[in-house]
Amino acid sequence: MKTRSNRKAYLYIYRVRILKSLAYRFDVYGNILMQCIIMFASAFFWKALYQNADRVQGVGVDSMLVYTVISTMMSVLFMTGVEQRVMDSVKKGTVATDMLKPVRLFGMYFFEDLGNITALIFQNMLPIFLIGSFCIALPKATTIGDFLLFLPSMIMAFAINWLLAACFSMWSFTAINMGPMLQVKKHVIRLLSGSIIPMWFFPGWLASVLNVLPFVYIYQLPLDIYIGKCDLEDVLPRMGIQFGWVCVLFILFVLLEKRVTEKVLIQGG
Amino acid sequence: MIKTIKHYMRVTWENIRISILTTLEYPTNLLGWLLSNPIQFLVGFATIKFVVAEFGSINGWNYGQLAFLYGLAIISHALSMIFFVQGWFMGSYVVYGDFDRYMLRPMSVLYQFFFTGFNVIGITDLIPGICVFAYGCIKVGFVFSLYHILAILSLLTGAVLIRGGVYLIIGTTSFYTKSINDYGAYTQELFDKTTMYPLSMYPESIQFILTYLIPIGWVSFYPAAELLGIGDGRSAGQGAVWITLAVGILVFILAGLYFYRGLRSYESAGN
Amino acid sequence: MAVIEVKNLTKDYHIVKKEEGLKGALKSLVKSEKKTIHAVQDLSFSIEKGEIVAFIGPNGAGKSTTVKMMSGILRPTKGSVLINGLDAQKNRKKVVQDLGVVFGQRSQLNWDLRLGESFELLKYIYLIDQKKFEENMEIMDEILGIREIIDIPVRQLSLGQRMRGDLVAAMLHSPSVLFLDEPTIGLDVEGKYAIRKFIKEINRVKGTTVILTTHDLGDIQELCKRLIIINHGVLMEDGPLDEMVERIAPYKTLVVELYDDKSVSHEKAELYSKEGNVAKYRFMKKEITAAQLIQDLSARMAIKDVAIEEASIDDVIRIAYRQ
Repeated sequence: MKTRSNRKAYLYIYRVRILKSLAYRFDVYGNILMQCIIMFASAFFWKALYQNADRVQGVGVDSMLVYTVISTMMSVLFMTGVEQRVMDSVKKGTVATDMLKPVRLFGMYFFEDLGNITALIFQNMLPIFLIGSFCIALPKATTIGDFLLFLPSMIMAFAINWLLAACFSMWSFTAINMGPMLQVKKHVIRLLSGSIIPMWFFPGWLASVLNVLPFVYIYQLPLDIYIGKCDLEDVLPRMGIQFGWVCVLFILFVLLEKRVTEKVLIQGG
Repeated sequence: MIKTIKHYMRVTWENIRISILTTLEYPTNLLGWLLSNPIQFLVGFATIKFVVAEFGSINGWNYGQLAFLYGLAIISHALSMIFFVQGWFMGSYVVYGDFDRYMLRPMSVLYQFFFTGFNVIGITDLIPGICVFAYGCIKVGFVFSLYHILAILSLLTGAVLIRGGVYLIIGTTSFYTKSINDYGAYTQELFDKTTMYPLSMYPESIQFILTYLIPIGWVSFYPAAELLGIGDGRSAGQGAVWITLAVGILVFILAGLYFYRGLRSYESAGN
Repeated sequence: MAVIEVKNLTKDYHIVKKEEGLKGALKSLVKSEKKTIHAVQDLSFSIEKGEIVAFIGPNGAGKSTTVKMMSGILRPTKGSVLINGLDAQKNRKKVVQDLGVVFGQRSQLNWDLRLGESFELLKYIYLIDQKKFEENMEIMDEILGIREIIDIPVRQLSLGQRMRGDLVAAMLHSPSVLFLDEPTIGLDVEGKYAIRKFIKEINRVKGTTVILTTHDLGDIQELCKRLIIINHGVLMEDGPLDEMVERIAPYKTLVVELYDDKSVSHEKAELYSKEGNVAKYRFMKKEITAAQLIQDLSARMAIKDVAIEEASIDDVIRIAYRQ
């Protein structure tokens, strides 16, 4: 009875549902459809822009199309369920008992996400790759070297994204409704990480601010490497910062986890 | 007839009052969206502006004109969220038997479905919409003559009806599939990508579909092109704002008919 | 004229048969096999003004489906329902103006706001004029004490209080017919008492016709003169409660307490239970009187005490369900 009526009350929070279908339910076909809409729209956007220009900021239209396809494929790897899991567990009041289980709670969530993503590589990423390759551009790395550098950078990007999500999920213990905050995070990452619009189009001052923040190290850096946008001397220091962010976020995550665990176990949830 | 209109107006007023009271019961919720929605659209527009500044224009639209288009698109999106967001959740109404109560009250079921709860939070989308639109108007030096005001009212009404109609059509499929799937996210993504950029950047075939089959082009592109006097690619030229209104009414009537057809196979819950 | 006229009412559901595994999933994409379920079959009865009728049957018997068809929520596959001579499928708005419906498990009240707000909204929806509204609130306050809780947010009400709110909400527009789907489910003794009192009172004061589905035998015993029993979507029994008892379970039970544990048999009574010093005899009223039976038995064994039990309503129902 109560949950049914609560559902009614929360009808107004329309976008929370989006999150549910996106991050939690991993609605497979729907997600392919959605990612493809974004991918095609971006591709046509760049094609239209490049009608009167060959190269802008040293990048041609072909590279931009590869950028779009790879970015869409990457977004599959960055789907996390941890926020939703923590939110549900807090809402249902099972946090305390969950935390007393012999498995570490966030460790469990991490492997759940990892498992889901592994499945999604075949269910989502592969179809997006095929559709993107046939309809937009074959996402070929510029050189083998670029591809080899791309891999470690991608792993670190994955770590940053997941740790951000995990840290963010701890908000659930304080805020009553995290839905809107999650949306802010989603849009900030989407727009300020270079996933759709690369950093180099941003005004210099903004780009330098963003280069200090972790977001660009989720999409922008691996993508830059993949399309061969920058030289090795340029890439290595940036990968250094990326690694730095992995460490910082990891420490932050461990501290937050400790604090939250203590709080929950003392208060009993 | 007049009595009926008065009846619906009175109930609508009461529903608005109740929706506001209900929303105010959860103030943190409202505050959260008040922060989240403007950030989403303002940052979204800012990034487009940076790109277009680099290239000069997109298909002949400079960024003042793009702001005009983008702003109109967000405003109609916000209004459709206020009035018609329920369409996104039709699946759960069907599966949980929430139409039972509406069938038992002496008012139109469709009216009750949409207007029993106004989504007051939709106003948080209206704010960035008006900001971006105002910015666009200043940039392009748009003059608010009486004609222009009427034209904007007409196109917004049409655009909201098109959106509401599409939500309703997609939602009505739940009567047949009996599944709780919520297509809101996909619908919004589709509308965002097709109403916030010039339609002319898409290939001919997609433009054709979005003009005649799923008439999303009328939500913002054609009327904005007319008001700004942009004649690139496919253009409806003069009168687009009024065609939008007509298309909106038509789409909504068709959606309403489809809804009432679907309602015939409504099976309530628990079977 | 009958208030409710149900004729040959039938409802079929079509459900898609799902086969297991990938093969089944692929097959269902091409061609789906449909299975028909007959939820309600060929039901006919009529209900007169001012009656209180209980609609009973085991879970899944088709009670809710029937009530939903009677109130116009579901379209019958075949047959018709006339309420005050009108078909709800054709004149929905007019018919429902004269109906009150309460679902015990689903509230129509606004969860977040004070109870009074829900009543205000209904006032406008049903076009109830202020005088009538106040009059009805007055009656409801007398029977249910609704004013005590009118300013409390619905989410803070107890289940019993909420049910009182729902009953008032259903009666505000003075409907002549009231449908109650399991109105006492989950309520405590106090709550059940209030609901039953309410039903009896509005039936007496306003002459409201009441149709209720229930699993609670107390509801039936206290409220209903007439019982309709359905099972597997088919009408099993329809008639006055006493008559049904008389016909289906025309026996009484004699409970005898003995000084020792030696009991004897009797040719006109069945000894169906014996525990220690207590023996139970079941006998047909028309075959032997209780007095005669006691006399016969006491002649042959040492009786300390006797009690006579009527066939209970649950015996009737159990037998009817089994048919």
